[in-house]
Parts: sequence; structure tokens; C-alpha cells
Amino acid sequence: MLQTLIPLFVDALANAALIFFVAVGLTLVFSVLRILNVAHGSLYSIGAYVAASVGLWIVAAGLPAWLTFPALVLSAAFTALLFGPVIERTLIRWTYGKSEAVQVLVTFGLFLILEDLQRMVFGVQSIYADTPMALLGISEIGGIVYLNYQLALIGLAVAVLIGLRLFIRRSRTGKLLAAVVADREVSQAMGIDTNKMFMIAFTLGVLLAALGGAMATPTTGVAPGLGADTMVLAFAVAAIGGLGQVEGAAVASVIVAVAKVLAIYYAPALDAVAPYLVMLAVLLVRPYGLFGAGATRRI
Amino acid sequence: MRKTSFMRPIAAAAALLAAGAAAAEDKPESLNLGVFTFMSGGPAAYGMPGRQGAEVMIDMINAEGGVAGVPVSATYVDEAQGAEGVISEYRRLSEDPAYGFMIAALSSGNCLALAPIADQLNMPTIGWNCDTHQLYLGNDYQFFYRPNGNTIAEFMAYALYFLDKNPDVSRVAIINPDYSFGHDAAEIVKATLKAVKPEVEIVAELFPKLGSSTFQTEISRLSAARPDVIFSNMWGGDLENFIRQAAPRGLFRTSVGVFALGESALQSVDVPEGSIVGVLGDGYWMSPDAQEIGLAAPFAEAYRAKFDADPVFPSVKMANAFLVMKAAYEKAIADNNVEWPSKEQLAAAMEGMSTTTMTGEMTFREDNDGVVDQLVGTVAKVDGKLVMTDMARYDGETMLPPLGEDPIAWIGSLTPEFLAAMPKPGSYE
Repeated sequence: MLQTLIPLFVDALANAALIFFVAVGLTLVFSVLRILNVAHGSLYSIGAYVAASVGLWIVAAGLPAWLTFPALVLSAAFTALLFGPVIERTLIRWTYGKSEAVQVLVTFGLFLILEDLQRMVFGVQSIYADTPMALLGISEIGGIVYLNYQLALIGLAVAVLIGLRLFIRRSRTGKLLAAVVADREVSQAMGIDTNKMFMIAFTLGVLLAALGGAMATPTTGVAPGLGADTMVLAFAVAAIGGLGQVEGAAVASVIVAVAKVLAIYYAPALDAVAPYLVMLAVLLVRPYGLFGAGATRRI
Repeated sequence: MRKTSFMRPIAAAAALLAAGAAAAEDKPESLNLGVFTFMSGGPAAYGMPGRQGAEVMIDMINAEGGVAGVPVSATYVDEAQGAEGVISEYRRLSEDPAYGFMIAALSSGNCLALAPIADQLNMPTIGWNCDTHQLYLGNDYQFFYRPNGNTIAEFMAYALYFLDKNPDVSRVAIINPDYSFGHDAAEIVKATLKAVKPEVEIVAELFPKLGSSTFQTEISRLSAARPDVIFSNMWGGDLENFIRQAAPRGLFRTSVGVFALGESALQSVDVPEGSIVGVLGDGYWMSPDAQEIGLAAPFAEAYRAKFDADPVFPSVKMANAFLVMKAAYEKAIADNNVEWPSKEQLAAAMEGMSTTTMTGEMTFREDNDGVVDQLVGTVAKVDGKLVMTDMARYDGETMLPPLGEDPIAWIGSLTPEFLAAMPKPGSYE
């Protein structure tokens, strides 16, 4: 029995780790900016493309292979710094206070632009950059061979969750972000530069999306369309956890991953729909997600 | 019923119009083709060699004076835009009088959609790659031909080969893409195993989404199932991804991989030696028949010069489609004694046509499906290159059900003696 359960458990956590990075970024942006960023998946795939391209360049240039590890993180940071402030200052800022429909249309337009931009810059063929995966080797758990890289990702996801929590609760910027989340108008009245907070939150969201993409590259192929697939799954996770809930994103990532893994093991025909069936079930019982709370409507 | 007098002129006018429509045409300045394949996304790993094959063939045909003296040019359409876009592009090109012939498509789904439109628009079309056996089931197309054989022959050949190659096989797992091509292949492999070796157990059957970027959970599931053989008809980026992800996790140390479209990935990914691969037909440019016919070597040389790689079987399939098209034009011109055939004459010329391709003989059956042999082999490294060895060449006619018969029911009627009578691995060298 245990022999059967252990691989299920490891696979679920490995899946959850990858989903978590992108979902937590989406939910963080929503909690501060109150915008559902449809283009979030594109920033995930741009992070993946940049990391894969840098990784391949490191190998081709004959540099030490271990450099591909810091390259993953630096690629994500580069993507966030390049796209985060620019997108927030130009497109996103324009949508503050507008209706949800306008916000979705603007970010959807951005998604289409970024998808085409990727094709122009990185081409249309699949890219593979698996050096970090090869360097870390393998382990056998419950009779199944796993990549140590997959196991390391689980640890990294937990570290990001704790780090994010500490950042929001302990750092000055984090506390200011929490204040903006709690009440935007009061925060502004008390002298908090909310525009700056919005930019920081959006850039942090892009960083998490790009980090998810970068970390996925050693075990996946990067090809056009990656962003859209990831985005749909991230929406499901955000809806299950409750939009704007960091811990909710973590728990929902595990729930979605467990549903997906159970489907692959025991009902492969349901593999694609399993996460959305879970989402449907959760929303029927808790329309604001597991960790979300109903918003009071101001009149 | 006796015709009334006023019907006669109408009938005569209709006959004249029909004759006019089928009449020969003036020789065009250029033979413009629409060539449909995947040029972006994961499937481009399979589709681009097809396009490159087309480019080389156009160069070669034009260097020899074109088709009946008319130079060939092509407009390439990316099938990655989805069926709606593909249909729209097909209609747009077909309704343009400048276009005379379509080579479409790679995807079985797109061929299923385009075949009735080819008949609507009277556009001679060759399905250069699509394999689904559903294409001609209950359908009678006049303008859509497929010089490939179909999924029945293709996937039966793999099942027969791996049973002969691994006589002790008892546990088989299947991982195919989640659309008709994947599900059809699974059904054919299972039906074949049930007919010729019923004791074989299917221990896992997985259908990940086409275009998935990761198969890590599926790999765990396959590892847990402990199969002797893992059959897959994944292709393009999916196939490359799967092998890249599964090999480091040791999946192929305990199970033999049977990759139906594996030859197309031999140059781009480290396919484990000992894996069973094939070419969905006979399109292996290094096969003994290809060497004997002598067309494949110059094609491969031109392909290498242009793209710095050996042609893989999608390139050869595309090249063979061009040879069939050229043969159809030559036959239509000869049959009708005209300078340039009409589209109707061209379609009629393909009925029952036989021709020698780069890699073997192709004959169109009554239903417009091409009969070609099936080539399967085992991956081995020779002179530093992964190639197919220990090959078997299965007769195309033997591997197809009689016309009008339900294909799966026909497979079910086979017996273990059918397997015993098949050519053995290594018999075609």
C-alpha cells in the first residue's frame, strides 16, 4: 500500500511545486492591484524562454555547467525587471478603477502581444535546456526513479512560500503592501505611495511567474502555447484557493496536483479535466474559494 | 421515363457545360501548390522536415524542367493555426485560379475536414501524411487521395514486430496523444495483440494532451506498471519531450520503447538503442528498396546540402507525395492527350494509379487510399549515427483489411498463424 502511495505523494508534490510558482504570482497581483492579469501565463513562458536560452548559451560557450543554476534565477529576475515596471506603468496603471471587463480585455490584448513577441524573438521551435536536471542526478523512491531536480523544486516552492510570508509580514515594503491590500484609500490618506506599491507588487508577480517558467525548463520543453496552458491551470488554482490568498494558492496547488496525479494513475481519461472538476466542486461549496471571503459591497 | 422535348436542349447544354469543365486547360506559367504542414509549436519538429522535403523536391523538379515543362512553386500553410484557419486557407487557395493542386495535410483531423471540401471545390489534393483509417470509411471522395496507407497497417506492423522481436512479452503499456490518432492506434495495437497473442496484458493506457510540455507523472505511472514494452505514437515535440524526460529516469532500462514515429526523432534526441521505431509506411531513405530505386540518394544529398541534416521520414513522405503528384500530371496528360490537364482529368488520372516512389511502390486502391509497405526496425548506432537496423518490411496489401470491411473486426479475425507468416525482424537488410 505504502509502496503505491509514495510515488503518488511525490508526483503530486512535484506537480504542485511547478503550479504554485505561477499561481501565487497571479494571486499576489490580484490581492494588491485587484486585477486578474490574463497575460500572467505569457510572463511564465517568457521566463522559461529566457532561462532556456541562457542555459543553452552557457553550455555552448563552454562555461562551467553549474552556472546554469544561478542562470535560472537570474533569468527570472531579468524578465521581471524588464517587463514588470514597464507593463505596470504603461498598460496596467491605465486600467485602475475601470471595470473588470476592461481590465480583462487589456490584459488579454497584452497576452496576445506577448505571445507574438515570443515567436518573433525565440522562434517557433521547441527549446530544450536540461543541463541542471542532468547535473543533479536521480533518486529512487518507492521503486520509482525520480529526478533530484524534481525533489529540489519541492523544497524551493516551500522556501518561496515561507519567504513570501516573511516578506509580507516582516519587511517594511511587505507591511505597506498588506496595508494597501487591506484598504487602498486609507493607505493613500496615510501617505503610502500606492502607485509605487502597485509597481512593486506587479513586478513581484512577474518575478514569480518567470521563476516558475525558468524552474520548469530543465524538465520540460519550451514551445509556443506554453503560457496559455499554464495560465488556465493557474486560474483554477487561484479560484480554488481564493483570489488574493497566498496560502490558498499553496494549498490549492497541492489539491490540483493530487487530482491530476490521481487521474493519471487511476482514471487517465479524466487527466485533463480533473483540476477543473475539483475547481467546480470547491466553487459550488465555497464560491470565494477555500481561503477567500465574500467582499462587502459598498453603496 | 421518356424525356420530353424541352428537356433535350437542357440536357445537351448540361452535357456541354460538363464537357467544358473537364476540358483540358492552357499550360500555366507556373504550377502553384498549397502545401500544408505544422511550422510552429511542438508539432513543427515533425512538420518542418516535411516542409523542407517539399522545398528540396521543388528545387529538384524545377532543375529537371518542372512538371511537363511547367515550373513548380508552393505556398506553405501552417497547420498550427487550428482546423478553422486551415480550412479557411484551403478554401482561399483553392478558389484562386492560380492554384492547381493541394498537398494537404499533415494532421489526420485536418484531412478529415479538408477531404469533403476538396470534392466541393474540385481541387485535386494529396493527403501527404494524415494516416487515420477513418478517412475513407464510408466516404467516397473523388478529389482527395492519400498515397500513404493508413493507421491499420501502420500500427499492426509495430505490434507484430515487437511480438516477434520480444517473444516473451507479457505486459504492454500504451502512451499516446489524446486525440483520434492516439486513440485509434491504441485500439489497433490492442486488437492485434488480442488476436495474435491474447495472453498479453495491457498494464497502463495513458493519453496525455497533445502538446504537453511535461510527462513526469505519466513516466512515474509507467514505471510503476512495470511493462515489458511501452508503445507510443507520440510525435514531434511530444515525442522528443517524452524521450528526453523518460530516459534519465531509467524507464527504457526496464522496458523496450516502441516509438511508431521514432525515426523522425533519431537526429534530434538520443533515442535509446534497442528501441523499436518505424516510418509509418516505407519512407526510409536508407532502406534497401530506396537504394535500389536510386531516387533517395540524390534527394538526401540535396537535403543535406540545404539543411545540414539527413532527411527523416516526414521529409521522405512529402517527397513521395510530390512524386505521386508529378506522376498524376504525367498520366493525366498522356491519358487525355492534352498539353495540360484539367482538375477533373487530374483527379481521374489518380484513380487506381500505381507509381514508383523514392522508397517503393504505391498503388491507389478503389477508395483512394494508397497501398504501401510498412517498414519497422530497431535503433542502433552505426558510425556514430542512430539508424534503423534489424528491419522487417511488411507487405502493404497483406496489412490492410479488404475494402468495405470493418478494420477492427478484420483485425479480430486474424489468428496467431498470421503472426507466424509475417517477415521476421532482420529479414529486410
